[in-house]
Amino acid sequence: MKPIHNLWQERLRFDMRAALVIIALIGLLPAVVYGPYALGIILVSVYFAILALGWNLLAGYTGQFSLAPAAFAMIGAYTTALLDHYWQVPLALGIPAAIVVTALFGLMLGKLVLNLSGPYLSLTTLAFAEIARVVIGNSHEFTRGDQGMHVATLTDNRLAYYYIFLFALVVVLACIYWLLKGKLGRFMMAVRDDPVGAESRGINVVRIKMIAFCISCSICGLAGSLYGTFSQLVSPELGLLQQTGLILSMVVIGGMGSLSGAILGGVLIYLGSEWLRGFGDIQMIVFALLVIVFARYIPGGLWGMVAARLQGRRS
Amino acid sequence: MLAFDLLANGLIYGCFYALMAIGLAMIFGVLKIVNFAHGEFFMIGAYTYVLVALKLGVSPWLALPCAAVSGALLGWLVERLLMRPMYQGYASWGFMKDEYAVVVTFGLSLLLINLVDKIVGPYSFRGPPLIDVSRFALGPIMLTGQKAIAAVVSVLLMIGLALFIKRSVWGKQIQAVAQNRLGASLAGIDATRTTSLIFMISGMLAALSGALLAPLVNPSPDIGAFPAVKSYVIVVLGGMGSIWGAMLAALILGVSEAFFSVYISYDYRDAFGLIILVVVLLFRPQGLFGEKGREL
Repeated sequence: MKPIHNLWQERLRFDMRAALVIIALIGLLPAVVYGPYALGIILVSVYFAILALGWNLLAGYTGQFSLAPAAFAMIGAYTTALLDHYWQVPLALGIPAAIVVTALFGLMLGKLVLNLSGPYLSLTTLAFAEIARVVIGNSHEFTRGDQGMHVATLTDNRLAYYYIFLFALVVVLACIYWLLKGKLGRFMMAVRDDPVGAESRGINVVRIKMIAFCISCSICGLAGSLYGTFSQLVSPELGLLQQTGLILSMVVIGGMGSLSGAILGGVLIYLGSEWLRGFGDIQMIVFALLVIVFARYIPGGLWGMVAARLQGRRS
Repeated sequence: MLAFDLLANGLIYGCFYALMAIGLAMIFGVLKIVNFAHGEFFMIGAYTYVLVALKLGVSPWLALPCAAVSGALLGWLVERLLMRPMYQGYASWGFMKDEYAVVVTFGLSLLLINLVDKIVGPYSFRGPPLIDVSRFALGPIMLTGQKAIAAVVSVLLMIGLALFIKRSVWGKQIQAVAQNRLGASLAGIDATRTTSLIFMISGMLAALSGALLAPLVNPSPDIGAFPAVKSYVIVVLGGMGSIWGAMLAALILGVSEAFFSVYISYDYRDAFGLIILVVVLLFRPQGLFGEKGREL
């Protein structure tokens, strides 16, 4: 018998171990994958895994549904690109700058809406995402509009880039694990499950939401910035609502409120979307249907199903 | 003189926005959720109108009711299949109503966009106008026939809706359920049927808005995104859940957008909605007619 107060720690540790196993498996993929095109695909799937982790911290653990993760990735990518284009700032500074700038955008949006209850966050982030994309696309002089901008790259070696992305994924995962293990993680879940109860226990609900939102935004900013330097082209397409939909479906199908669920969902959904592309671009139809079915019938997602089985066997 | 023209055109666009936003406000009024697939109701209406008129060769005046029926049908289906679990208590995320609603309606929006894209194709269509009168001047105001007719139709629709809600038994049921769902059902009102009715009206209005605008905007699968974003701004400005607030806010947004795009910047006219949203959230988060929504 394990002491009951350790139940959450126990589950989190199990989740983290599973996530590390999944990452290790992803890290071995280049051994069986040939050609730069296939390598590019698994690289992008890691990019989406980072975004899914970031969004999951906000939606799955804090219960706040932002509809702008892709827009924040776009803003992060543009931050690095603009710094590079106008001031030739080296990437070693440009990528951290993307983290800071997206966190600041998150802070501004959060100040506006996070003290309101109800669907204001989703509404405002959706409006923000669409309008930010159009504004960037229309600013022909400043951002070269829909043509996109050229960005410097860290290295031309795709395999090296793959491991850079994987490293970023591990760092993000470790940070989130560390957050969740401590007081802040418990506060976040208290805010998700019962905001009024949390407030009455002296938790500053707005502050916790704000912290979660800013961290989530800056994770998306980091992912976007890295992706921009990989593809060497930054365009408003990064912020399309379809991309947000992809991220949302990764987390909902993979498993809300779980580290390994988000990573598993991110990788599986992206690989699945590349596979379904062969059947005539039906991937978004399939995923949108799956999101509705999962939200309705399988709230734990894929990871919830697997974890129930694994943990059932252990006890 | 330009100001008159802008005012008139802004009011006309305001009427189209109002048709969209009223449905959103009504849904929020009863379920306290936002329908993120509302722009796709608009898109379905526009497509039904265009395809019925072009492919079947029917008069546009008959295609208009077809669009209304398709929107109402879609609204009915959405309520029946996706929303009903939420308040009948057997949804898996029943305890997280808002979250379930965001995920499901957003998923639905993606599904509809991609389905239409796949079935009809990603190209935009040019909708047939209701009336074949090109530009004409009415005093200082320049109008096209389609715009004038569409504006008249949408004003008539809004007057009809106002009368329906104020006078008819069903309208009174809608008001009652919006005020207090439990109380209304204690008084013998079928709250589930009323919610269904609200979704049908909301879908019908959005679809009609799409059909009326189809000759002006050339529908493509993602056409619904901006009307939807604008109606989100409108419902926040008007006060979430307030129908009259939504009507007034739509007119305000239409007119101020018209002036903004001419006097300040045409390229960034869509960003104007975000500015309004920010100002409202900063200074009057409950909107013009809303109840205070600030937490705790």
